[in-house]
Amino acid sequence: MLAVTDMNVTMQMLLPEIIVAATGALVLILDLIWVRPLGAAPSARPWLAYVGIAGLALAAVATVAERHTSAALFSNIFVVDPLAVFFKVLFIGIAIIVLLYSVETLPRFTRWPAEFYALMIWCTLGHMMLASSNELFTIFLSLQLTSLPLIVLIGYAKHDGRSGEAAIKYLLLVLVSTAVLLYGMSLVYGSLGTSTLPDIGAELAKRTTIGPALILGLVLLLTGFAFKIAAVPFQFWVPDVYEGAPTPVTAFLSVGSKFAGFALALRIVVTALRIDMDWHITFGVMAALSMFFGNLSAIRQSDMKRMLAYSGIAQAGYLLVGLASLSQEGVGGLLFYTVAYGCANLAAFGVVMIVAEHTKSTRIQDYAGLARRSPLVGLSLAVALLSLGGLPLMAGFMAKFYVFVYAAKAGLIWLVAIGVMNSVISLYYYLRVVWQLYVPAGEDLGEMKVPVRSSVALTFCVAGVLTLGIFPEPVMQAAQAAAAALFGG
Amino acid sequence: MGYVLAATVLLPLVGAIVVALLPKSAEGAPRPLAIVFAAANLGVASWLWANFDRTASAIQFELKLPWIPALGTSIHLGVDGLSLPMVLLTALLTLLAVIASKNISEQRKEYFSLILLLEAGLAGVFIALDLIVFYLFWEVVLIPMFFLINIWGGPNRRYAAVKFFLYTLAGSLAMLGGIIGLFLLNGANSFDMIGLREGSAALPIATQAALFTAIGIALAIKVPMVPFHTWLPDAHVEAPTAVSVLLAGVLLKMGSYGFLRFGPQLLPGGFTRLSPVIALLAVISIVWGAAIALRQTDLKKLVAYSSVSHMGYVMLGIAAGTGAGIMGAGVQMFSHGLIAGLLFLLVGAFYERAHTREISAFGGVVKVTPVLAGILVFASFASLGLPGLSGFVGEFLVILGALGPYMIYAAVAGLAVVLTAGYLLWMVRRVAFGELNADRATMPDITLTEALAIGPLCVATVLVGIFPQTLVGVMNVAVEGVAKVLGR
Repeated sequence: MLAVTDMNVTMQMLLPEIIVAATGALVLILDLIWVRPLGAAPSARPWLAYVGIAGLALAAVATVAERHTSAALFSNIFVVDPLAVFFKVLFIGIAIIVLLYSVETLPRFTRWPAEFYALMIWCTLGHMMLASSNELFTIFLSLQLTSLPLIVLIGYAKHDGRSGEAAIKYLLLVLVSTAVLLYGMSLVYGSLGTSTLPDIGAELAKRTTIGPALILGLVLLLTGFAFKIAAVPFQFWVPDVYEGAPTPVTAFLSVGSKFAGFALALRIVVTALRIDMDWHITFGVMAALSMFFGNLSAIRQSDMKRMLAYSGIAQAGYLLVGLASLSQEGVGGLLFYTVAYGCANLAAFGVVMIVAEHTKSTRIQDYAGLARRSPLVGLSLAVALLSLGGLPLMAGFMAKFYVFVYAAKAGLIWLVAIGVMNSVISLYYYLRVVWQLYVPAGEDLGEMKVPVRSSVALTFCVAGVLTLGIFPEPVMQAAQAAAAALFGG
Repeated sequence: MGYVLAATVLLPLVGAIVVALLPKSAEGAPRPLAIVFAAANLGVASWLWANFDRTASAIQFELKLPWIPALGTSIHLGVDGLSLPMVLLTALLTLLAVIASKNISEQRKEYFSLILLLEAGLAGVFIALDLIVFYLFWEVVLIPMFFLINIWGGPNRRYAAVKFFLYTLAGSLAMLGGIIGLFLLNGANSFDMIGLREGSAALPIATQAALFTAIGIALAIKVPMVPFHTWLPDAHVEAPTAVSVLLAGVLLKMGSYGFLRFGPQLLPGGFTRLSPVIALLAVISIVWGAAIALRQTDLKKLVAYSSVSHMGYVMLGIAAGTGAGIMGAGVQMFSHGLIAGLLFLLVGAFYERAHTREISAFGGVVKVTPVLAGILVFASFASLGLPGLSGFVGEFLVILGALGPYMIYAAVAGLAVVLTAGYLLWMVRRVAFGELNADRATMPDITLTEALAIGPLCVATVLVGIFPQTLVGVMNVAVEGVAKVLGR
């Protein structure tokens, strides 16, 4: 890895982050000088989102330009490597899709969308920084940058009590997990005298015995990301927060926030935790518990958002299978899985938003006959759910296959067996919804008009699911390259 | 040339998309359009049949395109003598099923689109030469089938569709496990069914047997072999007629075809170790299926259980592993496709007229519908193995082939023909002959559409029965190859 000291080069490397930070500010300024003076004129508001999307797209271009870079900035506390680039492009893509959805949904619960957009963009900035963080304190700051906007975003629907309740719950979660993380960091730093991840790894590799303080520190460090990815046993906050938050925020949480946790986990686990301990078992057990808990709970849900919340816990389990194999190929599988899951889950939440606009409901029973009211929406949800269930020709199959093959190669046959068993369990509740889409509704509710912006975002996600299911090669290669950067340096 | 073969998948796939995208106002268009695509596909399959080199042992019309190098899988397609008859059968039965679906009144374009998608999946299973591609198509078949039963099925369709889905899915996942195991243990870092042969055949016998058990469960569910058969009667009873035709005619053959591909060609040691078990289950299926069919009061259930019994012969031939046994299995697969299709079309025709499938609700219908009743008699004779019709050739060869390795089983299978004759002739007697049931007195005879769907199957049954060498000639080289691998 190239250590960069030149300030100009440093700034160049930080270009994506700078663009994103400036975009958030620009949205706020435009709101003040242009949209608000117009009063309540709604026609100008979508433009704030478009400006945000344009800025994010620009940042994505700047990020992709760094795809062959491998550099360490500020004395190795911030790295730009293919892994960081992979995650940053993913985070930006997620933000763009969610912004597109938000344009349609926001007017229902707020008259002032500018802060919403800006906070979401800055939260994405936090995710991006997390993907590059290589040092404990940088990690901590980046995490705060993601968590604080999220608290506000979750509580954005001021007139909905559930939204406020969810925000308070998330706030308490952030407080607790931050305290835990900070305590863990201080223990690790106190024991080893260094805070950059590679140095921690080198120090740990040297030691023959590891004291209780250090063990505790490492365990607390791990809980920091376990909360973010919502894996068992740190999942308890998920259903209520997912259900209460405005749906675009839920969609954002369910993918962006979760993947940020994995970006963090990968760096910590692979670069820092170089001690002779069976991490296979630790992550394997976490994965197995998450899959079982998520899937078995999802079966009982009658609310779509809650079902997707529990399904998200189970999906975190599948992702952890990739981490548990602790091999370059396994991590490659995990990365591919994030893209596949991102497309499918964003499509599913997109449909939830569109349906909620029409029926004011997120209950599964109100999805009856959806495919007749709007073939596009019905087909999109069917594809998304079948992909989440891991049926072939969809991205989800390729992703599960990829992860499971290399987990089996790493010797985790028992975990693969549990994963496969869980795929069957999950199909039960995914298919139940798909079946619902194609049965006649009790009454004829007429055709469902889908707004253009939503259908663009939805089509993009569904096309992603199908493309990744049939031609997964380009994304798989990018994932492998990113994983290789993490392992091979 | 390989692209012509790929057309057997692409053509129906394009057809499925085109039909699905038809505007809502074009209500009359889906069926004619589906007929065009299915007929074109039959044309392609016939061309393949005509241009197939009957003397070459190699895979023909091969196509290999890179797909996912990271996972060692490529799009590898091709046919040999074992798969080509299945490709032709798929194309033929799909066309007839589309023709026979005249009375589908709800959601027509979805229906025909799914039938074409089903055809694409079925053709894909038979031409895939890469395990992942094979598995993908295997699963693709599941999705349209689930919806076809679930949306256009009978009153208890939801239960039947879910049962079908869960049974086959559970099997598929065992198969996926077996495929992954094959991949990991082989060391070739490839999923190519041809490329894996050498490495997998060299694995220890116990490993091969374990892998083949995992894969074999999926296949046995599909065939279906007793005790994995309980999904079949439910699915058949609820499925619309055309779907039953494809289910019995082609879907079941995916299982027996898979036994031929995975057994002798990939895991010969494991297959040889397990073949006594397969043979035993096959004989149990033959007898059990026939015995249960004997006491059915529902026409469609009777035909469904007769499929279990007839597929038992296929499996006995495969388990025997001799040249005659495998040839018999291949002929029986093709022949059962024709005859089961024929019987289900007839049951559908009767059901449409009487709105019931209870055997006791019929009686003496030969007096009002002589043609339909006559074809029922013909189909029953074909099914029970009357010499001169296709069913005889297959079952005769199977029993002949099984005599060497499994003399007692062969004898039981031979005697079971009596049971088969029993349930079929008794059914014919109760439906077609005897006192005319007063409720059926105004039943109209065969319509033109029905004749178009049923006629070709009758002709093909006779042709295969009288000139089996056309079929045998295509399969011969491949069958000899399989028998040689097994050393029998």
